[in-house]
Formats: sequence, C-alpha cells, structure tokens
Amino acid sequence: MNLDRRAAGRTWPAASGWTSLPFRGTVCASVAHLDIGAMDDKVTKVSSLEDLLEAVQGGSRAALKRLYELESGRLYGIALRIARRPEIASDALQDAFVQVWQNAAKFTAERGAAAAWLASIVRYRTLDAVRKTGREVLSDDPSLGDRIDEPDILDRLDDARLEGDLKRCLDALDDKQRRCIMLAFVDGFSHSEIAARLAAPLGSVKSWVRRGLHSLRSCLEP
Amino acid sequence: MIPADRDELNILAGEYVLGTLEADAVREIEAALPGNAELRRAVAFWEERLHPLSHLAQPTAPPPQAWNRIAARLDGAKPMRAAPRLWQSAALWRWTTAAATAAAACLALYIAIAPPAAAPSFVAVLRSPQQDQPAWVATAGGSGLLVRAVAGGAAPLDRSFELWAIAPGATQPRSLGVIPADGRLELGALPATIRSGGTLAISVEPKGGSPTGQPTGPVVFVGALVAAR
Repeated sequence: MNLDRRAAGRTWPAASGWTSLPFRGTVCASVAHLDIGAMDDKVTKVSSLEDLLEAVQGGSRAALKRLYELESGRLYGIALRIARRPEIASDALQDAFVQVWQNAAKFTAERGAAAAWLASIVRYRTLDAVRKTGREVLSDDPSLGDRIDEPDILDRLDDARLEGDLKRCLDALDDKQRRCIMLAFVDGFSHSEIAARLAAPLGSVKSWVRRGLHSLRSCLEP
Repeated sequence: MIPADRDELNILAGEYVLGTLEADAVREIEAALPGNAELRRAVAFWEERLHPLSHLAQPTAPPPQAWNRIAARLDGAKPMRAAPRLWQSAALWRWTTAAATAAAACLALYIAIAPPAAAPSFVAVLRSPQQDQPAWVATAGGSGLLVRAVAGGAAPLDRSFELWAIAPGATQPRSLGVIPADGRLELGALPATIRSGGTLAISVEPKGGSPTGQPTGPVVFVGALVAAR
C-alpha cells in the first residue's frame, strides 16, 4: 500500500483560511441553529414528503401533522390489508407515526424515497403486531361464513398503479414465485399462511420465495 | 447469523422486507442493521423496489381518534437530535468546494465547542496526495462514523472506493467498508481503529471491494484523524 505519509500526516487546516470567507456566518448558522417556530410557518407551504420529514427531524409537530394528513389514508390501508383488523391496524399506524417522530433523522441520513420509507415503517409495525397477536385468517369456505373479500392478487398485476421495472420483473417470474412474493408483501402472509392459501408444502413455498427474490434482484439491479 | 455472502445477504434482506421471517430472525436483523452498511443497503433496495406493490392496498381513512392518540404520545418521545443533524443538513453539502472547506472548518469548530460527548470525536479531511483540494470529510463520534464526498466522489467505472483505517503504529490497514456509489458511507458504531494519530485512506478496488481484505489498488485519498476536544 503506497500511502503518502506526508499528506497523511497533515493536520486540520488552520482557522485563518475560513475566517476571511464572507459566508461563514451563514454556513455556521445553518448548521448550529434551527428555528422551529419559523419551520412550522413554512410547513403549509412545503409540499414534498422529504421536506416534511426534514422539518419533523427539526422538531416540527406541524410537519408531522401535515405528513399524517397527506399519508395516513394510504398507510392505514396498507396496515389494514395486512392486519385485517381495524384495531390492530390503527395501533400499528400510531406506533409508526411515533417512530417517524423519533427517527426522522434516520431517513435524512440514509436518503431514499420518503413514501417507501414511511410505508416500510408501517408494514414492519403491522407485521410485528400480527406476529404477536395472530391474524384472523379468512378461509374461502362459505359454510363458515367466510369469504375472500379481495380479488385474487394475481388479477391485479395489470393494475394501472403497478408499472415499470417492477411489473416487468414480476411478469418474468414463475407464477408460483410471483404469487408467493405478492401474498407476502401485500397481504403480509407468513410462509405457512402462503402454504395454506396455495395448498402447497411449506418447504416448496420457502424455496419459491427465495428463488423469486433471487430472480427479482437480478432483474431489478441496475 | 447475518450471512457474509452477498447473494445470501440480499435474499435475507428481501425476506425481511417481505415479512416472511420469524420473529427471532427479524430481531437479529434489526439488531445488526445499525452496524452493517451492506445489510442496510440491501434492505433499502427491497423497500424501494417493492414499494409500488403497496399501492395494491386500498387507501382507507384511519379512525378519527388516531391522530389525537399519536399527538398525546409525542411529548414523551423526543426526536433524535444533536450531532447527527449536522451531517444531514442538505444545505451543508450544496456548497461549492470552497464553501465545503468552510463548512468543514465550521464542523470542526462545532465539534470543538459542543458539550462534551460520551465518546471522543474525530474529524479528518481526505485529499488526493497530488492535490491540495479536500475531497472527502470524515466525522466520527458517539453515534458512529460518517464519510462524505465533498468533491467528485465517484469511483472509476466498474470499480469501488473502499475506506481503510490505519491505527497509529499499525502496519496493516483495516477495511471500514466499500463506499456506496452516492459517495457516502455511514457506520453506526465507532470502529476501534478510529484513534487520534490514525489515518483514513481510500483505495480503488474491484467492484464490491477488495477480495483479499487488504488494499489491492492505488490509494487515492488520505487524511489524518484529528481529535476534537
């Protein structure tokens, strides 16, 4: 390893250089000081979820409330679809927003799409709750008074909201692999729930999920 | 066990995001996430790429009392604040190279005047041995290590930048990880090799990092670690 020791040994530049720069006050002020009151005023004007999360990180409740107004319907829908019980979905939504309040800093640190980050938090909180409390499993046996109230998820692959690379890559999967992945992600089904739904052995389901993920990764990777 | 093999790691991360793992495996992954940048990237990949599927759930208005219950819980739950925010200020990184130097100096000043932290804080400016221009800024403290490109930051085509730490007196560098394509590497825990008098270096490696655990390509940036009192 050819390390230039002379350069490596160089110490932090002396303060003399930067003190003469005209914008030093601005730079330091933006780093050291955040005015929460001023931020609240801006909340109604900023529109993107990313901007709102940045304001939440600075401690703005108004930004969190705005985020809730914009996103709670979509996020509650995700939780309800997985939990199937309103009280569990509602608790998970509340836990998720408290977590967003506490952890908004993690979002801005990692970057990425805010909508996906929020949905992930809600999914994890809902899945946790379902793992703890169990889920009301609907059979499709009409004699038990149950019915599958959602159209089969495979029929919705043509949904206009699903497009682009993900649709192309899901279409390229083997039917069973695709079904497993969608039932897991959208309905939050465990391996054994998928096995029951597809009337397939548990071991096969596990391997379809893994193979499906492997193919998806290869297809989606840039 | 979190697998070291990249394919296995990606599949495990996919299963975590899908939600098919058992509670024990989920806990293990969540415990490993803060200290494993590779795992974090794999999880983020699946979260973002599978996200369009969540649109298949029908949006539904939550119960009307849900917001009030959230609001009532906020007082006891304070947002993560302080030092990490310094790194995340988008404005900080939008400056030109000259301004970035000033920002780095502010950072040093901030760390120097900030109340004493639980763990020692270090800063380093990494430069190309041939040029005086700062290329990377590293800040380390109680909440971990962040290395961020301030100029350029893109590795040559089909190559990766890998970050190394050389402890004072050590003969061999220790890998701190491959720097993602966006020129930003964050470690949740402060590696033991980060010490005053130590050195950070960035080498050019095959895509995905050195296959040997030691640098195999040229060292293109170096900087000394300086303790902030």
